[in-house]
Parts: sequence; C-alpha cells; structure tokens
Amino acid sequence: MTLSTTFARGRPYLVPALLLALAVGLVASQTTRPLALLDMWRPWGEVGTLAVVMTAIMLTGGIDLSVGSMIALASVTLGVVWQAGWSMPWAAAAAIGVGAAAGAINGTLVTIGIAPLVATLATLAFYAGLAMALAQGQRVAGLPADFASLGQGSWLGVPNQLLIFALVWFMGWIVVHHTRFGRYVFALGDNALAAQFAAVPVRAVQWWLYTASGTLAALVAVIYCARSGAVVPNAGAGIELQVIACVVLGGTRVTGGRGGLGRTLLGVAILSLLDIGLQFISGEIRVPWTGFAWQFSANSRLLLIGLLVIGVAVWNERAAAARLRPTAAGGQIR
Amino acid sequence: MHDQPVPLIALVDVTRRFPGVLALDGVSLELAAGEVHALVGENGAGKSTLINIVCGLLAPDSGKLLLSGKPVAWSSPVDARHDGIAAVHQEAELFATLSVAENMAWEQGLPVAAGGWIRWSQVFAAAEQAVNLLGDPIDVRQHAARLSVAQRHMTQIAAAVQQRARVLVLDEPTSALTAGETAWLFRQIRRLQSAGVGILYVSHRQEEIFELADRITVLRDGRMVWSGPAKTIDRDGLIAQMVGRGGTTSARTAPLRQPQHGLLRLQIDRLSAADGRFTDISLGVRAGEIVGIYGLIGSGRSELAQTIFGLRTAAGGSVRIDGRPVAIASPAQAVAADLAYLPEDRLHQGIFRGLSVRANMVVSALGRMQRGWLTSSARERQATAAELSKLGIKCRDAEQPIGELSGGNQQKVVLGRWLLTRPAVLILDEPTRGVDVGAKAEIHRILRTLANEGTAIVLVSSDLPEVMENSDRVVVFRAGRVAGTFDPAHSTAEQVAAASLPDEALRSGAPVGSPRRTRAVRPWRSEVALAAAVCALIGLLIGTTDSFLTADNLWGLLATTALWTILSLGAAVIILAGAIDISLGSLLALSAGVGGLVLKLPYSPWLTIPAGIAAALATGAAGGFFNAAVSLWGRVHPIVVTLGAMTIYRGLLIALTGGAAITGLPGPFVRWSTGRYWGVNASALLGAVAAIGVYLWLAHFRGGRCVVAYGASPTAARLVGISHARAWLSAFAVGGVLAALAGVLELSQTGSLQSTTGRGYELQAIAAAVIGGVSISGGRGSVGGVCLGALLISLIHNTLVLWQVSANYETLVAGAMLLIAVLADLAWRRFER
Repeated sequence: MTLSTTFARGRPYLVPALLLALAVGLVASQTTRPLALLDMWRPWGEVGTLAVVMTAIMLTGGIDLSVGSMIALASVTLGVVWQAGWSMPWAAAAAIGVGAAAGAINGTLVTIGIAPLVATLATLAFYAGLAMALAQGQRVAGLPADFASLGQGSWLGVPNQLLIFALVWFMGWIVVHHTRFGRYVFALGDNALAAQFAAVPVRAVQWWLYTASGTLAALVAVIYCARSGAVVPNAGAGIELQVIACVVLGGTRVTGGRGGLGRTLLGVAILSLLDIGLQFISGEIRVPWTGFAWQFSANSRLLLIGLLVIGVAVWNERAAAARLRPTAAGGQIR
Repeated sequence: MHDQPVPLIALVDVTRRFPGVLALDGVSLELAAGEVHALVGENGAGKSTLINIVCGLLAPDSGKLLLSGKPVAWSSPVDARHDGIAAVHQEAELFATLSVAENMAWEQGLPVAAGGWIRWSQVFAAAEQAVNLLGDPIDVRQHAARLSVAQRHMTQIAAAVQQRARVLVLDEPTSALTAGETAWLFRQIRRLQSAGVGILYVSHRQEEIFELADRITVLRDGRMVWSGPAKTIDRDGLIAQMVGRGGTTSARTAPLRQPQHGLLRLQIDRLSAADGRFTDISLGVRAGEIVGIYGLIGSGRSELAQTIFGLRTAAGGSVRIDGRPVAIASPAQAVAADLAYLPEDRLHQGIFRGLSVRANMVVSALGRMQRGWLTSSARERQATAAELSKLGIKCRDAEQPIGELSGGNQQKVVLGRWLLTRPAVLILDEPTRGVDVGAKAEIHRILRTLANEGTAIVLVSSDLPEVMENSDRVVVFRAGRVAGTFDPAHSTAEQVAAASLPDEALRSGAPVGSPRRTRAVRPWRSEVALAAAVCALIGLLIGTTDSFLTADNLWGLLATTALWTILSLGAAVIILAGAIDISLGSLLALSAGVGGLVLKLPYSPWLTIPAGIAAALATGAAGGFFNAAVSLWGRVHPIVVTLGAMTIYRGLLIALTGGAAITGLPGPFVRWSTGRYWGVNASALLGAVAAIGVYLWLAHFRGGRCVVAYGASPTAARLVGISHARAWLSAFAVGGVLAALAGVLELSQTGSLQSTTGRGYELQAIAAAVIGGVSISGGRGSVGGVCLGALLISLIHNTLVLWQVSANYETLVAGAMLLIAVLADLAWRRFER
C-alpha cells in the first residue's frame, strides 16, 4: 500500500480525529481531574445508546426522527401507570412495551412504503402529542428513591448510563458487523431494490430496526426518568438532533450503505467531549482587538452543535463523493 | 470519401478522461448530412461518452467538436439542442407527473415569452402535431406516467423527429420497441435521412446496424479501431473488430446439446398473475434442460419469472420444484425452495454498487457460510474466490467495489451470487443485456455447463439469436399466454418471431403497445375529498357551537387561514422541488425577530415598517438560500441540513433578542393586519395575493416550472438542462420568503414575538401541504389543494378553541393530522399505480 492510498483510506477519519483532539484538549484544559467529570457523561450515555440503533437505521438509508417523542411517550406511560398504583418494575416494563409498540408502528409505516423521513416526522408529532395528552401537560414528581438509583447510580465508579451504552454498543456492533442481519443492513442501504431481488428480507430488516429503535428509546426513557426523579411530558424533545449528530459526526453516510458502529463511537466521544468542555465556558468570550464580546450560553452550545453537524456532514459527503466518482467510462455517466 | 462536403458534425481527436480511466482517446468521427452512422462497440468502449459529448452532456478534455466546420463548445444539452442536435437516450427519462405535452416541450426547450411566461397553447399544439405522426392516439394532456415503455420511447422519437433537428442521436432506440414499432421507427429514419438529417445510431443489434447504416465506426477501449462504409464489412468481421481478438464467433454457434434429460425439476401448472399480466401458463423444465422464453416486452415473460420468484403475486395455479409443491410469497422462500432468479436490470435490480465483489457475491447465500450465529469472513472469501475463478471474473481482488467492474464482469458476479445458492432451477432474465460480446459467449458457455451438471435453466430473453442458439426448447409468449413451443433445431428464427407477434401487427405493421390502461385521470379527486372534509367539519362546528358563525370568529379564522396558507405554500414549494425543509418554523421566528428589531428602532414608523418587513423577507430568503446552498454544495440531504439549521436559526434568534420577547411594536404595524380593505380582512388579502403569486409562478413561469419539473424527475431535468442548483435555490428561497411573510403576519396579528414562536409550525405546514395533495416525493401538487389543507388546519385549531379543548390536545391533533395526511398520500400513490 502506498503512502497516498494510506492517506486516502484514512481521510474519512481525519476530521473526526482532529475534532476529537480538540474536544479532549478542551476538556483537559478545563479540569485537572477528568474522572470527576464522569457524572457529566450520564446524558451522553443515553444519547449514545440511541445512536447505536440510529446508526443501523441510517446505514439502511433510513432515519428515525421520532426517538425524542418516543422517549416522551414512554416516560409518560411510566408516570401514569405508576400513579395508577403499579409497582416500579411493572411501570418500567409497561413503558418499554409502549416504546416497542411505537417503534413497531414506525416500522410498519416504513414497510408499507412511506419514506422513513416522512413516516417518523409524522410520528414525531403524533407521539409527542399523545404524551402531552396522556400526561395532561402535568409532570409527575416523587418517583421512589430506589428507582432513582438506576439513573443516578454507578458500578465500579462508572455511571450506569455508560455501562448500558457500552453493552448496547457491543451488541449492536456484533449484530451490524458480524451477523447476516448486519449484511442485509448494508445491502439494503446500498440498493434497496437489488436487495429485494437478492432475497434479502427487506421489510423484516426495516421493521426490526425501527422496533428496536422504539424499544431502546423507551429504555432510555426509563433511565432518564430515574436520573431526573420525575416524568416530564416533553422529555427527550430535540434529542434526535444529538443522536443524528453523533452518527453523522462519526462518518456514517446519511444516504446509507457506508459507515459503522466504530465510527459512531467516535462521534459520541467527540460530541460529548465538546459539549462537556463547552459547559465550562461561560460568560463573555471577547474576540481580541475587535471589542466584540459573545455571551456564551446553553443556547450558543446548541448553535455550535448545529453548525458542527452541518459542517461535518458536508465534509463526509464530499469526501465520499470524491471517492465514488465514476471510474469507468460509458454506462455510469448517463 | 474525404472529398465530400463539410460534414454536419465532426469530432477531431477528442479525448475525455475520468478519474482512473481514459474513456475516449483521440477519437475522430464525421457525420455527413443524410447519413446513418452506426456506432458500435462493447460496453465500456466509450460509445456513451462519445454521444454524451455530441449532445452536450459532457465536454471533451481535448480535441475539437466542429458543427458544419465551425468549432463549438457547448456547456449543456440545451446549447446542443439549440444548434440542432436532438437525442433520444436509451433509458427514456420522463417527468412522470407532468403531461405528455409538457414532457415533449421540455425536450425542445419550453416556449417562453418575455419574462419567462410560458406559452401553453403552443406547447399543446406542438405536441398534438408530433403525436399525429405516430398514428397512435395518445392524449397529450395525460400524465406521462400513464404511457407504456414503448409509448415513452415513441413520443420521444416523435418529438425529436418533429423538432427538425439537423443531427439525431439514437441510443439503443429499439430496446423497448416491438417489431411493428421498430418498423415505424426505421421508416421515420429513412424519411429523415432523405431530408438531409444526419443520424448517429448506437445499437447492440447487428441486424439493425446492417439494415440501416451507411457507415460504421467501431470503438474499443476508448479508441476508434475501425471506420468505413457498412458495405465493406460483414457480421463476423464487425464482431472481430469489436472484441479485438479472433475466434470468439465460434462461441456463438450452436452449443453442445445434451439430448438425454433427467427428472422434471420445475413444473408450473396453470399459473396466472394477480394483475393479469399473464394467464394460465403451464411449463415444465427438466434437469439438464435449457428452456428459452421468447416474447416481446410486456408479453408477460419477465412477470412470470418474477411471480415464480415471489416478487409478484399469483392469482391461481401451482408451482412444483423437484416434485414438491411450493407456495412462494417472497424471494426468501423462493431461495429456500432452491430457486434462483437473475434479474433483467443489472444496475438497479442486480448489483450493490458501493459494496465489494465479495459482499455482492455472498448476499443470497449467507446462511450457508455462517459459523453459528455469526458470519464468517473466511468462508465467504473462500466461496467468492471459487466463483471468481470458475466464472473467469476479472477484478483486482474480492474486496474491490463492484461498481468499478465492467458490465460483463458485474453480471458474472450476480450470476455467481445465484450459483452459490446451489439452485435446482435457475431463471435468467436477459442475462446478456448490455454485456459485451466476449462476456456474452462466456455466460452462454457457463449456462450449458450448469445444465449439464443437472440444473434446470429458464432463459428469458428478447434477443432471438441468443434464445435460438442456447435453448433446447423455445416457449413463445404473446400477450400473457403461451403462443407456441418450438424446437430450435427444427424451426427457424422467423417462425419463432412470427409466433410472438400479434396478428394485426404482422398485417399492418402498426405500432403495437404493451397492454395499456385507459383509466381516466381525475386530478381533482384529492381536492374534492378535502373540500368534503372541510365542509363536514364546518357543518359539525355550526351544529355544535353557537359561536362559530359569529363575525369575530369567522374573521379570526380567515386571518389564521391566511397565515397557514402562506407558510404551507412555503413548505409545499420546497416539497414540490423534491426536498424538505424542517427549519421553516425557526426561520419564521428568526425573520420575524429581525423584522421586529428593525420595527422597534427609534425612527418614524413610516420608515421602520417597510424596512422591518424588507429585513424580515431578506432574512427568510437568506435562510432558505443557506439551506439549499449547503445541501447542494455539501451533497447532504436537506433533512440533515435543515435539522441543523433549525437549531441555528433558533439560536440566532435567542442571541439577537437575548431570549426576551419582542413587544411594543409600532401601532400602525399591529393595527394593519386586523384592518379591512375593501371590506376584507388585510391578512386574508395578503394570503390571497401570496397564493395567486405562487400559483402563477409555479404554473406559468419558467422559473417555477423548473422547480416542479426538477421535483418530478431529477434525471430527466438534467437531460433537458434544468439546473439542480437553480431549482433548489429558488424553491428554498421562495419557501424562506413565504415563511418570513408568515412571520411578519404573525408578528402583526399577535403584536409580540416569543423565543418559542413558530416551534412545530413546520410540521403542521408540511401536513397542510401533504393533505392538500402535494406528493411528498416531489413534482405533484396544486396551490388550491394547499390552500384547502391550510383551511383544514385552521379549522381544526378553531374547533379546539370553540370546544374548549385543553391545549394539551393540540399537538396530538396536529400529529394525527400529519399521520393521516401521510397515509392518504400513500393510498393516493397506490391508486395512481
């Protein structure tokens, strides 16, 4: 392998690696005891868990925009049945069941021929509305303390969220990269029609992925409720952006067929480190010599992340397009 | 020959390079007036590149293109067409949701008056005239989607003929045509020829080339290897030139036949298709036998194959494999029943372009290569290597992306995929279409070997020599039924061809289309249903509340409807262009915020009001422009861009306002939207003006029509010179301006702006557009429908208020609406198909 091909193969990782270095540097410059920050990773463990299944979905060329709403719906289910007198384990099971059902509805919509983008955009609104209506707009507070330990506890010093993320990621990695199902995911993302003609069970693959997405969203919802000790009817709103950001930042293509879970791990690391690092920055940032001052806030962080997602998505797609430019004449440039 | 007058078109020493490949290497070619010049060569020889240069789709890297002796440099097919070059491409790309007439008009450049106003009467008159040439009554006002494949080609050819072009480029024009239609085409070609038109004819079909061509040019590996009068070369000589090596012709002679056949492996008994494409087919194939199925396109032969393979539904009859009755509902079941099907369209149905040769090869037989639950790369590599050498596939290694291989090698990989499943019955649908001569012969040899090993083979093909030379028995399909069975050793190609033709076609030579549907188009159906829903809701409101019919409520409803109409039209324009924008709600808020800040400047309201509105609209346009520009330049799907842009615009708004609400706007601005002009509410007036403006732009101006056409088919748009960038930039900018206008209206109606204003509006606007009949995949929709959709959304809000439903149900209702709209859109598309 020549130096130039080595470089070409490594190119997709160039920007993520630079961003990772930047993020690590940012966090390191802000604290002397990075391990003390582990607690700040709890929300990112939740985002990462969702990013695992989102990666698989985006590899098929699909997308699930409704994860945030499914979190809300599952949270509200948990709160409502707990208030009705169910024990916490049963309430959690009910929440997960509802999440799986919501995911299955997404899966069904996609398999009957609605574009995933459109189907999950519709259910994004529908599930959010359902959650709001079920909860009557009220939050449920005072969840039992032993339940809260699920979302606030640690094992060997590692927050539960990160443990769950690690477990889900590993399972996802096996499924996507080392099973027949995973091969089908890539085939489907490259050419859905050819996949059908090659006897790939296209609909089953899609259905299971969206159902898994709903189930994991509900699992995250349970942990989220445990962490915050309360049920909020708009829990998870907007989380899809962070989840998709992790997948895209890692370098999985939005159009499917290329990418993988290793990259998503990288994406989660970058985004979480940047976010945590930026949380230390507060107050004004002065731009030297111009006298311009920027009030840095939570909103600025969101803005930066939005820009980052677009920027990296653009970089990745352009790099991929450069690689995939037609190399043979004739048929391909019609 | 060189003393002839100046050729119509001449390529001099043209070179064109693609990354890693020299597609054309110093090729020169001349086309004289009144000449049919055939261009032949194997796939990948450079034919497509050459004709793409001739019709302006590609520019040469070096060398000259001379038109009547004068050098030209075209930057698009439109320039070429302007100079009298007409082209009919192999795959007829059409704007499916636009009328036949409009499709033909785009081919020739839409007739426009000053300012881009489209002359529709001229469009329809020209189309009628062209269709009259065909002698086949085609309604030019119907959607092009309703044409059969042959009709699509025919209308394109008719349009090109009528265009009075000086040069006509035909790329495999007969691949979808019946014998009758081909005869019609040849008559037209002769007529044009005598009128002095130069014709560049690309075909794989040798018979046609020798029948039509005056001159033949052979390309191989990007170079011109032979060129001369057609009379000076024969069929074998031509093939030798194309392939560049001797002896390949022997592969085309009759293969070894194995007379003794084994047990019946495939047995089809009285099988019919659910959609009537074929009826009552019975067929048996024995081990070691190759049964050829010949028939015209649309005769039901591919449909039969796909039904057996579980891709289509059967209506009756049975299929047995090795004597076992099998019920096949999906390709996976077919594979489990030891059946394999090689699809006819390699590019779309066969290969996974971005995946490796190995991934392409093993995808259907993964179950055989597993180690427990997990896949085994070692076993996959082993199996792939075996097939690569057995089939003689040329590739760098098994990990090379299949897209980099030549057509013949790609086809062999797909064949290898099916061999790995060790099928009892192998059905091949046009296995050598678009495959070069050398690979074709090899594929034929492989088939015979497989048959000799005991596989039952069904060879579906529209290449008559292929069927005759490789089958032990030929079954002819005609109009969905078996029209006869022939023994190729004891019958002639003419007999077989005659059996495949409908009787009338033989007598009159009139064009024969595939079965076509005559269902009338009812474009107003979705609007009528929607109007009924609106009326029903109004009736319900009148019946259940006293306050609906009060003037205050009605004016308020009208004002809300105006707001939703404007925003929904913004969403609709972008969806029509084949994109989507979920940042519209944030953009609405940001634009209104910018406008509001300008409005609050301490100057006279007569200065700040126009400046504020202008600033808001400019912000909207800029936001839309940014979304489109990033999506285009970055090649990122608009959903990702606008998902990011949604937070960016919201963040900018908060940064601008510091998170505080904007209130205390100048009095005249706030009073304006609730005032009345000529007795009508100002908001309603604004909404009506916006709707009329958008309608005129989309239906009567070239700019708007480009947006719709691009959304209908990006590929066809490229061929007729509609710029992707311009279509999306204008659609997103117009969408952004409309969102900003809605923002200004909201600001004026409520007199204030919160940092959360407009959150979730984009979903409701998209819902209104889709409910209004705008196809989510682009290219279809009407302004009237969107207005009705917006009215429905406003009525629902009104209902919730009048019924005093808690605000907690508002999102639910909006979400349910969007869901219903999406399902209705799906149902509508199913109905259309």
